[in-house]
Amino acid sequence: MQDALLAMLAKEPSYGYHLRTRLRRALGPLGESMNAGQVYVALTRLEKAGLIVSERADGLPERPDRKMYALTPAGQQRVAAWLAEVSWPKPDLADFHLKLTTAAAARLADPVELVAAQRRELMRRLRDAQHAALAEPDDSTAGLLLEGVVLRLQADLRWLAACERAWSGDENRI
Amino acid sequence: MGRVLLIFRLVLADVRRHPTQAVILLISITAATAMLGLGGSLHGATQALYQKTRAATAGPDVVAFAPGTGRTAIKTLTSLEHVPGVLTHSGPYREYYTKLTAHGSTGAAVAQVADMTPGPVDRPLVTSGHWIRPGGVVVERGFATALGVHVGDHVTVAGRSLPVVGIAVTAAHAVYPWAPGIGPGGGPSDGGGLIWLNERDTRALESAADTSVTSFIDLKLRDPGTALAWHRNPAVTSAIGDRWVNVRAWQLIAEQDSLMLKGSQPILVIGSWLLAFLAIAGVATLAAGRAARQTRRVGLLKAVGATPGLIAAVLLTEYLTLALLADALGLITARLIQPAIINPSAGLITTATGPTGTTIAVTTVVALGVAALTSLGPVVRALRTETVAALADTAHRPQHRAHLTRLSALLPTPLLLGLRLIARRPGRAVLHACDTAATLTTITGLLMIYAQPAKGYPGSSMANHLRDAQEHHVILAVTAALVALAAINTVTITWTTAQDARPTMAIARTLGATPGQITAGLSAAQLLPTLPGALAGIPLGIILCLPFSTANTTWPPAWSLLGAALAALPATAALTAVPARVAAHRSVAHTLSAEAT
Amino acid sequence: MDESGDVLRVRDLYKEHGHHESLVRAVDGIDLDVPTGQMLAVMGPSGCGKSTLLHLLGGLERPTDGEVWLAGRRIDTISERGLARLRRRAVGFVFQAFHLVEELSAAENVELPVLLAGGSPRAARRRAALLLERFGLADRARHLPWQLSGGQRQRVAIARAVANRPHVLLADEPTGNLDTTATLDVLRVFEDLRAAGQTLVIVTHDERVAATADRLISMRDGMFVDDTRLAGSTTGRLDGLIRLED
Ligand SMILES: Nc1ncnc2c1ncn2[C@@H]1O[C@H](COP(=O)(O)OP(=O)(O)O)[C@@H](O)[C@H]1O
Ligand SMILES: [Mg+2]
Repeated sequence: MQDALLAMLAKEPSYGYHLRTRLRRALGPLGESMNAGQVYVALTRLEKAGLIVSERADGLPERPDRKMYALTPAGQQRVAAWLAEVSWPKPDLADFHLKLTTAAAARLADPVELVAAQRRELMRRLRDAQHAALAEPDDSTAGLLLEGVVLRLQADLRWLAACERAWSGDENRI
Repeated sequence: MGRVLLIFRLVLADVRRHPTQAVILLISITAATAMLGLGGSLHGATQALYQKTRAATAGPDVVAFAPGTGRTAIKTLTSLEHVPGVLTHSGPYREYYTKLTAHGSTGAAVAQVADMTPGPVDRPLVTSGHWIRPGGVVVERGFATALGVHVGDHVTVAGRSLPVVGIAVTAAHAVYPWAPGIGPGGGPSDGGGLIWLNERDTRALESAADTSVTSFIDLKLRDPGTALAWHRNPAVTSAIGDRWVNVRAWQLIAEQDSLMLKGSQPILVIGSWLLAFLAIAGVATLAAGRAARQTRRVGLLKAVGATPGLIAAVLLTEYLTLALLADALGLITARLIQPAIINPSAGLITTATGPTGTTIAVTTVVALGVAALTSLGPVVRALRTETVAALADTAHRPQHRAHLTRLSALLPTPLLLGLRLIARRPGRAVLHACDTAATLTTITGLLMIYAQPAKGYPGSSMANHLRDAQEHHVILAVTAALVALAAINTVTITWTTAQDARPTMAIARTLGATPGQITAGLSAAQLLPTLPGALAGIPLGIILCLPFSTANTTWPPAWSLLGAALAALPATAALTAVPARVAAHRSVAHTLSAEAT
Repeated sequence: MDESGDVLRVRDLYKEHGHHESLVRAVDGIDLDVPTGQMLAVMGPSGCGKSTLLHLLGGLERPTDGEVWLAGRRIDTISERGLARLRRRAVGFVFQAFHLVEELSAAENVELPVLLAGGSPRAARRRAALLLERFGLADRARHLPWQLSGGQRQRVAIARAVANRPHVLLADEPTGNLDTTATLDVLRVFEDLRAAGQTLVIVTHDERVAATADRLISMRDGMFVDDTRLAGSTTGRLDGLIRLED
C-alpha cells in the first residue's frame, strides 16, 4: 500500500483524506473493509522514512487534522523503482499439497475428503467474489481486480479438481 | 491415376452414405429416359418390325387385287407375272370377305385360300401349331390374340365350325384389324382379321350370301424400292388395261401397321416431357437438400488442400455417373416395354428393335442435362463459397421472411409450423406445386381420353376396341409412371424438408410442440402448395389436349376434373404422413446434441 | 407444487444408453429435491451424465427406472403429447449451442413458445419485447441470430426459455461457448431471474457459473458425490479475498 500511496503523490501533493478515497475507489468493493487508520499509519511510516513531507493546512476549521502530503526526491526515486519492478506474489500451493501427502501417508485423513472440504471453502469465496463482480458496472476498474480474484480462485479450484482425480485413483491411496 | 482413384473413392463413399438418395435419383432419371426412349423409338419402330417380318416370311413387294374370281380377273393378274422387273410370284389366290365367330364374339374376317405348301412369295411364319390342312384353319396372330383363340380351338366361318391348327404371321396383309385392306369394293372397309384355309373348306363361303370375294397375286420385284410407283409402270398399265385392278405396295402395308400408334405417340412424347420435368424437380430437390451438406464437405476438402477442379470433378462425377447409369437403365426398360406398345396386335415378329442412335443421343443428353442442371448450381456455389464460410455453412442460411412469419403467428400450431417451413425454403414449395401441376396435367389428359366415345370405323367393334384400348393402356401407363414419380418426389421433398428443418423442429419440441403437431406441420408444408398446383394442372392439361381436339371432342365433366384436383390433397397428406411421422418422432435430445457438434 | 414446496423431486433415477457391452449407465441412482426458487448448479467431468439428467428432468428423455416429479406431477409416465404440453408451460430449456431458430429474429424466437402455447400474437409480441428489454437486448429484437454475439444469442435463448414463465429453467452448459464478458452478461440474467423467484437448474463445468448458485451438486459416473449449500454459508465479506500489505 505504501508504494501505491507514493505513486498517488507523484503528480501533485494531496490531502490524506483524498488519498484514502482514491485508494478505496481503485479497490472497489474489496477496499470497503479498509479502515482509515491503515492509511494514516502508512503515511506516518513513509514520512519517517523521509520519502514524503507533510504540511498542516490552515483555514479549514471543520477539518482540523488535515495535512497536505508531498513527495521528497527520495520518494520520487522509490516510485520509479516500484514501477520498474516485476516481482509477483508466488502461488502458495505447497502447503496444501503437503497436507494431502502427509495425511495420506499417515492415514490421518482421506485426501479426497480434504480436497472436497477445501473445494467447498473456495467455492464459497468464489461465490462472494462472483456476486461482487456481477454487481460492478461493466466499465469499472475495480471490477478488474475482482475479475483477477475470481480467475485466481478458478485456477485453484481446477487444481483441486486435478488433485481429486489423482487421489481418488485407488493406486494413489497409500 | 491417384487423383482418379481419389475421385472415385469419394464418390463411392458418398453414394454408400446416402444410398436412398442415389436410388431416388436413379429412379427419377430412369423413368424420364425410359419414357423418352419409348416416345423416340415409336417413330419407325413398327416399320422396323414389319421389315423383319417381311424378311422372315418372304413378304411380297406388291400385291395386286382384282374383284371376283372370273377368268378376266385371273388372266389380268397372271399377266402381271410377265411384266419386266418381276422376279417371282405366288398365286393368284382368292380371299373371301366374311364374318368369323369365335368364343361367342363375331367380327369381320378375311379368309384367304392358301396352298398346302405356300408359294415362293408370302410364306407365313407359323408361330404355333402347323400350316393349314384340309378341315383346319390357321389364324393370323394379331387376330388370334384379339379373339383369344389358340391352336385346338374352333372358329365358325360361314356356318361351318373348323378347328384352328396353327397361328401365323405374314407381311402380305396389314396387321389386325386392317387385314381387309381397302376391301373388295376398293372403298373404305371395316376392320377385321385374317385366316388361311384350304381350297376345300371354301365351299360354304361360295354359297354364303353376305360374302364377297377377291382374287390377288403376290409379286416379288427386282427393285423393292420401286414398289410404290410400280402401278404407274407403262408395262403394268398396259397389262391391266381398263380392268379394275388394285395394286398395293409393301410400303403402304407397313404404314398401315404403324397407324395403330398414331394416337399413342403424342401421349408418350408429352408424357415423357412431363416425366422429364418431374425427374428434374425430384433431382433438384435432392440436390438442393444435399447442397448444405455438400457445401460443408467442399469446405473440408478445400481445407485439406483440394483444388476447385478436383472438387468439381468429385461432385459432377457422382451425378453424371448416376445419370449415365439411369440413362442405360431407362433405355433397357424402354426396350423391354417396347414390344407391347409397338406391336399392339401381335401381328408382327416381336424381336424388338433396339433404340436408334438418335434416341440414345436424346435420352443421354436429357439424362446428363437433368444431372448437370440440378448439380451445377450447388457445385458452383460450393466452389465459390469461401472455405471458412463453407465450413460454417453460412451460405445456406435460410432467409428471414418477416411477413410470412407474422402471418403464421395468427394460425393454429400445425399451420404455423407448416407456413414457417415453407418460408424457410419457398423454392421447395414451388417445386412441389409444379410436381402436382404436372401430375394433374396428365390426369386431365387421362380423363379427356377416357371421356371420348368409342370412335373409328363403323362395323367392327372389335377393331375399335382394340385401338381405344391401346390408347387407354398407354395413357394409363404414362399416368401411372407420372403419379409414381410424383409420389416419390412428394416423399423426397417431405423427407428433405424434415432433414433440413430437424434442428428447428427439435427446438419447437423442446418448447412444447407435440410430435403430432410437428407431423401435421411437415404435412401442411406440402399440402399448402398442393392445392394451387393441382388447380393449375387442370387448365394446363386442357391446353395440352387442345391441339388434338376437334369440334366433336367430348369434354370430361367439370366435377371429375375438380374431383381429381381435390383428391390430390388427401393423396399428398397420405404420402407425407409416413416420412413426417418418422421425422417427428426422432429423439430431441439426440438431434440437439448432434447439432451442437 | 407439492406440499413440500419442491418444484422438482427425483427418486431413484436410472437411465441407460445402449445394450450389452455398449451399455452406459448415464444416470445411476439419483435422488434430488429442488425447492421453489432455488438456483442449483450441477458440476462434473464431461460424460458423467449431466446432460442426460437434465433431459430427464425436462421430459426430453424417459428414465430407464425411477420417478421424476415436476410441480407435483409425475412426468416419467405421461404420454409424449402430455410431455410436450408440460414443456410448453412448466419447463424452459437453455443449451450450450443456443439452438435459436436461425431464420427467425430474436423477438420472433422469444414469441415462439408463447404462440405454441396458444397465446395471441399480441401477447407474444408484448412478452418478447418485455423480456428482451429486461435482458438488455431491446435494440437487438429485430436481429437474426447470426447477427448477434454469442452472449446476446444466449440471452435471447434464455428469454425464450422463460417466455411462458416455466416452473423451472434447465440450462445445459449455458456459458460453454462464451467468453468472460458474455458469461458475466448471462450470469447477470440468471441473477435477475433468481431474484424474481425463478427456480434454476444449471449444468456447467465453469466454476464461476456454479459459484453463483445457492447449491452445488458434484456428479461423477452418473451419481451425486457431493451436495453443498453455498447460499447462507458464506460471510458475504470480501476482505478475506485480498491481502493488502501495509
Ligand atoms: N444417445 C446416447 N446413446 C448412447 N450413449 C449416450 C447417449 N447419450 C449419452 N450417452 C452416454 O452417456 C454418458 C453421459 O452423457 P452426457 O449426459 O451427455 O454427459 P455430460 O453431459 O455430463 O457430458 C456418456 O458416457 C455418453 O457417452
Ligand atoms: Mg453435456
